[in-house]
Amino acid sequence: MTQATKDTTTYPTPVSAIRSDGKEKVMGTGRYTADLTLTGQLYAAFRYADHPHARLLRVDTTKAKALPGVVAVVTHADVPEVLYGGMVQDRYLFAKDTVRFEGDIIAGVAATTEAIARSAAALIEVEYEVLPAITDFEAAMNADSPLVHPGWAEYSRNDDVGSTGNTMGYSTIVKGDADAAMAGADVVVKGRYVTDPVQGVPIEPRAVLAQWSGDKVTVWTSTQVPYAARSGVALTMGIPESNVRVIVPLLGGGFGAKCDFHFEGHVAALARASRRPVKLVFSRKEEFFAVGHRREGMVLEFETGAKKDGTLVSRRARLVLDKGAYCGEGGFFAQMAAMHACGPYKIENIHVASFLNYSNNQPSSSIRAPTAPQVCWALEQHMDALASALGMDPVDLRRKTLVDEGDEGPTRQVFDRVGLKETLERAVELIGYGKELPDDEAIGVASGWWPCFAVPSGAYVKMNPDGTGTIVTGAQENGSGAVMAMPQFVAEELGMRAEDFSILYQDTDAAPWDMGSSGSQTTFNSVRAVLDATADVRNQLIAAAADLLEAAPEDLELVSGNVQVKGTPTKNVAIATLTAGGTFHGRGSGPLPDSPPVQAEGCVGRLGNESFLAPQFFTHAVRVKVDRDTGVVRVLQVAAGHDSGRILNPTGAAGQIYGGIVMGIGQAISEGTMLDDVGRQRNPGLLDYKLVTCSDAPQMDIAWVEIDTPNAGPRGSKGIGEPPCVPTAGAVANAIAKVIGQPVTHLPMTPERVWAQANTSNGAQS
Amino acid sequence: MSGTLVVSTSLADALAALASGARPVAGGTDLVVGARQGKKPLPDSIVAIHQLPELRTLTTEGGGVRLGSLTTHGEIVAHAGIRERYTALADASSIVGSHATRAHGTIGGNVMTASPAMDTGGPLLCLDASLVLQSLSGTRTVSINEFFLGPGRTIAEPDELLVAVELPEIAGQIGSCYVRLEYRRQMEIAVAGATAFVRVEGDKIVEARIAITALAPTIHRVATAESLLVGTTGSRADADAAAKAAAAAATPISDVRGSADYRTAMAAVIVRRAIEGALSRARGVEVAIPATSSLQGTR
Repeated sequence: MTQATKDTTTYPTPVSAIRSDGKEKVMGTGRYTADLTLTGQLYAAFRYADHPHARLLRVDTTKAKALPGVVAVVTHADVPEVLYGGMVQDRYLFAKDTVRFEGDIIAGVAATTEAIARSAAALIEVEYEVLPAITDFEAAMNADSPLVHPGWAEYSRNDDVGSTGNTMGYSTIVKGDADAAMAGADVVVKGRYVTDPVQGVPIEPRAVLAQWSGDKVTVWTSTQVPYAARSGVALTMGIPESNVRVIVPLLGGGFGAKCDFHFEGHVAALARASRRPVKLVFSRKEEFFAVGHRREGMVLEFETGAKKDGTLVSRRARLVLDKGAYCGEGGFFAQMAAMHACGPYKIENIHVASFLNYSNNQPSSSIRAPTAPQVCWALEQHMDALASALGMDPVDLRRKTLVDEGDEGPTRQVFDRVGLKETLERAVELIGYGKELPDDEAIGVASGWWPCFAVPSGAYVKMNPDGTGTIVTGAQENGSGAVMAMPQFVAEELGMRAEDFSILYQDTDAAPWDMGSSGSQTTFNSVRAVLDATADVRNQLIAAAADLLEAAPEDLELVSGNVQVKGTPTKNVAIATLTAGGTFHGRGSGPLPDSPPVQAEGCVGRLGNESFLAPQFFTHAVRVKVDRDTGVVRVLQVAAGHDSGRILNPTGAAGQIYGGIVMGIGQAISEGTMLDDVGRQRNPGLLDYKLVTCSDAPQMDIAWVEIDTPNAGPRGSKGIGEPPCVPTAGAVANAIAKVIGQPVTHLPMTPERVWAQANTSNGAQS
Repeated sequence: MSGTLVVSTSLADALAALASGARPVAGGTDLVVGARQGKKPLPDSIVAIHQLPELRTLTTEGGGVRLGSLTTHGEIVAHAGIRERYTALADASSIVGSHATRAHGTIGGNVMTASPAMDTGGPLLCLDASLVLQSLSGTRTVSINEFFLGPGRTIAEPDELLVAVELPEIAGQIGSCYVRLEYRRQMEIAVAGATAFVRVEGDKIVEARIAITALAPTIHRVATAESLLVGTTGSRADADAAAKAAAAAATPISDVRGSADYRTAMAAVIVRRAIEGALSRARGVEVAIPATSSLQGTR
């Protein structure tokens, strides 16, 4: 197979759009939230918990308030008594009676300078009864473990989340009879894998600026999800959403870490108390320890039974995930992890149990493809272990077991035509799998999948009198550039030029609700809405032109800035002529694609992810070089095969792959938050939390497998933002294992861990 | 925060400021970053010395090289004489921090910060550098071998400014090499580091100097390892033996970058690589600068 599959449905030719916000970002003229200043503005600082788990006995703000320059100090006593959170509402803005992780906020200070604010925060006197810190999230589910939330049963929650004690979420995937099938398997392999928590590390630290006008508040904030930020502010301030306007200036990256309502409520509370605008800008250290958003640590146990020919007959798995102190928006992780523990493989019998446990660690929430990279890393190593036990080549085992058209998923979702196997073939072809390599190099392979999320969105397209137009969208830009591609799509539909359209976005007062930049969904949902609004305005333009040209609407087309009669282009009217004489404004949402039907009656903790809509499939093949003496791993080459449906903007899509691979390499070999005995971060900084640098980036080659999928997004597209960081670590792991002769079962696979593994009894000691 | 920053326009002004309690800043890559990280607050009184041209000199004198303390890492790496005869220093300066660090960070700052993980320390020890310290009361020249007292501590008095680093002329058939264990290629700090300097006559090593980095409270030479190497041909076994002796002299800590056990084991590996690199260079076999990436994976 040497060519990309491409179906015959015709769409406009993809255009590599140069993003319109690129220049100001590169030139340094762009304005981010931290760059904004309002007259009379104060600066915020937080007082954090001195112990990761403790009861608050006394909070005395007297000295802080007395410090010259301090205008307001706010604690739980000063804000409405409101619990917030996603599927479980378990957190107060300011700790009420208990702190549950080192970043829990006890009080906020607004002062005339940042230095005074921070000094005042330190002057707040807090008396604690220190409680045992529950940092071992696996032991947290033991019957005798103290509870992170003793009052858990009283919280409001989504009833399907499956909470009991420290297990905030519980989910299973049950298909067939895993036990019986396992007993009848020819070969059974087992494996246990552990992952450390990982951070999102956007280059722009969080910043929030809030200003009240009467009982309305405007919040400028570095969020990926302005509408979620708006509802969080409304809820915690006790005001309607119509009294909250959230505006996002340029956003300096997020990687999922800026999803969810975060500190907008705290700053709004300080601004209300001080009657002044208040700005919060995080330090890099706060960006590590204080955010309720990181990729969770996991303990994963797999058992897979197969026939001698490689056919998978049974999978059992037990997954334990570290939720950290609070639910946040990560309530669905148990189920999402369970789906990835099955993977895109043909398996008739499955039993996966997945536990999402509270601990006194930093809260976990969505980071790019939440749960998938860790589970994929473990599962794909487990699959290589199975291949080894079967005496099969790992690629051959995948050829035999990955899903294809007509196969059933873990919940008996039946797949349409999918490009998964072709992503495998293209990746191994691109990297030259099987070629002769030096003895310290090897190639590893990993495959995976990720759903698209169908979510409502809405948009307006309004024409201006001079014939230009403005797209009003709720979509949020998070670095992917997906929003920037909208003018191209609209222009194509209206026979105009992309530069004829501006975008009004990142302002909750302007556009209808949108989920924001999360779930790889901007093109999938927001562009669907924009195209629907475009069709509306197109119909309006045609109707007006039909009157003028005395032609039937169905005989008209939009070409080169004109509405013209098909076949008689000289009979036309310029769009600018029409717009000069009337208002044209379209609105739209577009129909939501249906999720595929499933048979998931045996599963518990069903939160909607048991069905993977328009799934994206992918395989990465990675060549690494391992320095056996030191354990240092260099990733030399990555070949990425991706079925993300039709690629609408090749430049933007490739950017997502490159960034995802580099993020995946970091997760594989160097990125991991280390904790001390009581759950405090030991490396909350960029020197010792090791992101990989540009100099470490490997050669990267991409193969697009473009297959049309029912229920896909606009023009046959699927998502693309999250999957590229999913399979890389698994492929790196399998390559390392080939070089050193055994797997490294702790992520990240740091030099010391690789070295230790390479130098155990049967390792290749130099 | 009410600190003062004075930009000195003459060395005399700078020395006077130091005498009245100010602390110097040149590139600021340690001082400012450290303060931002909360490691150490900025001093109340700071004197900026970055505009003193007399400190930004790099001259060849009497067969040796004199580096004004404001010489940047980038300038060191670009200097043909240093690359040729003091290669270990070029190895080190070429991997300090990032491109930005190397453009702004100075040799003087690197030395005075006295981090046990500083990259240029081992090369300066093995190249027998002297440090020129100046204050209002005069100038003295000290050997770098007696300069470091502990992490962040040196024998320099608070009113003394490091004005130059002097590298003596080195005769004969020599080679030097600095290697560090690093987890990534930029923005890195040594997990463990090693410098080797050898002089050969015929096929024999007649002089050897070995220093270890990030493996003790200060960077230091290891005499036991050096003496094991002298008189040998520097075979793999000879290099290994010396490297093991160097590892035995290591007293590393366990921290987020690595456990003491790992560091000790790595000491033997990287000292061996540094010896092999130095020996190759002494014998005219090219080992590209920086040796750390050239030798990665060498077995």
